[in-house]
Amino acid sequence: MNLVHLVELLLLVTILIVIGLPLFGKLPRNILFAPVDPANEEFKHLLVRKEEVLLAIKDLEFDWKTDKVSANDYSEMKGKLEGEAMKLLERLDQLEKEGKKRKKN
Amino acid sequence: MNEIGEFALMIALATSLYGCVTYVMAARGNRVDLYLSAEKIPFILSACVIVASAALLRGLLMDDFSLQYVWAYSNRDLDTFYKISSFWGGQKGSLLFWTLLLTCYTLVVHIQNRKRNAMVVPYAMVVLMAITTFFLVLLNFSTNPFEVIPVPPEDGRGLNPLLQNYWMVIHPPTLYLGYVGFTVPFAFAMAALICKNLDDSWIRLTRKWTLVSWFFLCMGNLFGAQWAYLELGWGGYWAWDPVENAAFMPLLVATAYLHSVMIQEKKDMMKVWNMSLVLLTFVMTIFGTFITRSGLIQSVHTFDEATLGYYFLAFLGVIIAICVGLILSRLPLLKSKNELDSFLSRESSFLFNNLLLLGICFATFWGTIFPIISEAVRGVKITVGPPFYNQVNVPIGLALLALIGIGPIIAWRKATWSNLKKNFLKPLLAGLLAAGALFPFLPLGNRSEIYSYITFVLCVFVMTTILIEFFKGTVARKSLHDEKLIEALGSLVWRSKSRYGGYIVHIGVVLIFAGIAGSQSYGAHTEKRMKIGESVVVKDFTFTYERLGFIEENATKTRAIAQVGVYKDGKRVWTGQPEKEFYKGQNQPVSEVDVLSTWQQDLYLILADFTEDESATIKVYVNPMVSWIWMGGWVIAFGTLVSVWPDRLEQRRRLERMKIQSAVFSPAQE
Repeated sequence: MNLVHLVELLLLVTILIVIGLPLFGKLPRNILFAPVDPANEEFKHLLVRKEEVLLAIKDLEFDWKTDKVSANDYSEMKGKLEGEAMKLLERLDQLEKEGKKRKKN
Repeated sequence: MNEIGEFALMIALATSLYGCVTYVMAARGNRVDLYLSAEKIPFILSACVIVASAALLRGLLMDDFSLQYVWAYSNRDLDTFYKISSFWGGQKGSLLFWTLLLTCYTLVVHIQNRKRNAMVVPYAMVVLMAITTFFLVLLNFSTNPFEVIPVPPEDGRGLNPLLQNYWMVIHPPTLYLGYVGFTVPFAFAMAALICKNLDDSWIRLTRKWTLVSWFFLCMGNLFGAQWAYLELGWGGYWAWDPVENAAFMPLLVATAYLHSVMIQEKKDMMKVWNMSLVLLTFVMTIFGTFITRSGLIQSVHTFDEATLGYYFLAFLGVIIAICVGLILSRLPLLKSKNELDSFLSRESSFLFNNLLLLGICFATFWGTIFPIISEAVRGVKITVGPPFYNQVNVPIGLALLALIGIGPIIAWRKATWSNLKKNFLKPLLAGLLAAGALFPFLPLGNRSEIYSYITFVLCVFVMTTILIEFFKGTVARKSLHDEKLIEALGSLVWRSKSRYGGYIVHIGVVLIFAGIAGSQSYGAHTEKRMKIGESVVVKDFTFTYERLGFIEENATKTRAIAQVGVYKDGKRVWTGQPEKEFYKGQNQPVSEVDVLSTWQQDLYLILADFTEDESATIKVYVNPMVSWIWMGGWVIAFGTLVSVWPDRLEQRRRLERMKIQSAVFSPAQE
């Protein structure tokens, strides 16, 4: 066996040990990810949407300041976005209550 | 070392296969032990490919001609700089380089997402590793870069002289960084489809990858154009060559995606469209590779041993089938509940932008594959030349340029006609003024000149809208936050990096359009056989052929250099030295052009040929505004840098979200 083969063998053994250890060692019992909770998923999605709607309101205000929308459209769009934000907040509140209740139990 | 390199590639293939299987089992079985084993794979994989790359690089630098690849693409006299670039100069080396980038990207993705996105990441890693496996199969079984010559020759054949140019050293890695970079958004999109996690989290996760990859693709195209301009010696930079098209098409689709994805982020709609665009971008990168390596299309860019076409065609087929199948099966989940608020909105201008970009992409695709189709159907290969592309793509390109100007003026969600008219007034006036001012000076004798004239007018219109955007934003910020003008401008850009970074990128695009228009229509060129002392006049310049000299640079390379004095109004402005280089073992000499580049025009000289009596044929080009194209590239680079600069506000928002989520549901999942 020459030096090259020895290096190759050492490399192979090292790799096998590195990837094999987790399979045979003592591992924490926790699973990789918690089972998908639809309420949690919806909550996460709504949090992002809430941010987007708030950013959209900011953008609308900027568009209003830079004269891209008329007064009528501004108030109409703002009302629409605020309404959307309200709905999102209500749903988030509802999910939060349910989530906390479940967490307690 | 070569044996170790070959062994490392085999180990890499085995580990990537193991990685694919283990990640799938970990994700499907929700098993942490398998995941912990699999998460070592990106490290091992990249280490193996780095070892293999180092082995090949060592062979190139140490002139190890026992390696067939080193013999074919290097020789003893080659500069070290070009010995390094030989790494990606040939088919086998370039595939190894691709794999090297892919494994390094995979490692970065793994490190970035180590402790988050536990549901999506394993599947994304599977996709990345499956693609890596494909490349490793090619490297191990079809294009082994460590193939050995039993009796090593004394010297190598050397690198193709056309590739011995610094732009050719930079161009392929830049393009590959873009090509390979799009594998990451593709992998996350596929992962989102597989695990049905179809909100916009995968878009947020890959936003920076997309932007950076787009940037590299864009710069790769520009560097390639610079190489063609300086090395191919025909006075131009873009010829609608199939391989140029192959690099251009993913850029078009990626640009469409970058714009339409904003609509999904803002309005939670167009999910199918965005998913399709990101998948199509990746498909286009593989199609580009297929074109380069299939041997089906003749081009200066294709590889000598273009034998891998069928592998890539099969790979392409599998990818398209899986993508279409996954999108169709997830269609109900991808339907969006929201609609456009108004036809007159920024969103609809983005939709038009998408249609135009895809229109150019389709025309380019059709022109590229038409020779293959015509040969298959009628048995005659009909080549599609620049007139077809210019006829179809230039008008669409002009509409696109106009949209770059119109977009920023229109408000998100719903714009108002009266405000739109008011906002259009100044840019429109600027455009009309430019049209009037340029009319007496620019010739309008043919279609190309008319298009160029329209381009300049549109460039003025677009630049005005962008500058007004910056101005209005600054004034609004100044009044809201009581800041000084410069301070307000700085914080305006800093607070909305993606918006204003995008506008800076648009300025770069405008410069590129202007450069193309100027150089395509108002240039002049001539070719003249001259004796020493004779002159030729092109535009305002007199070019005098002064002498011819020879330099034997080394055993394999001899240079013939012509000296040309350039005069304007009787005053010497430049001494040009175009060359002809002769390489031992190469049939054709290579032209090395000499260029004086200014913001107004390029003076471009080619030594076409010469005879023993020292008379020479000199080609002279006066190409206006070419430097604007390259300048546009650097402006795009700056704009992209602004856009991708880390946004602390966004990071804070993400952490805040996670905190709230943890308080309600535990554990918090991203």
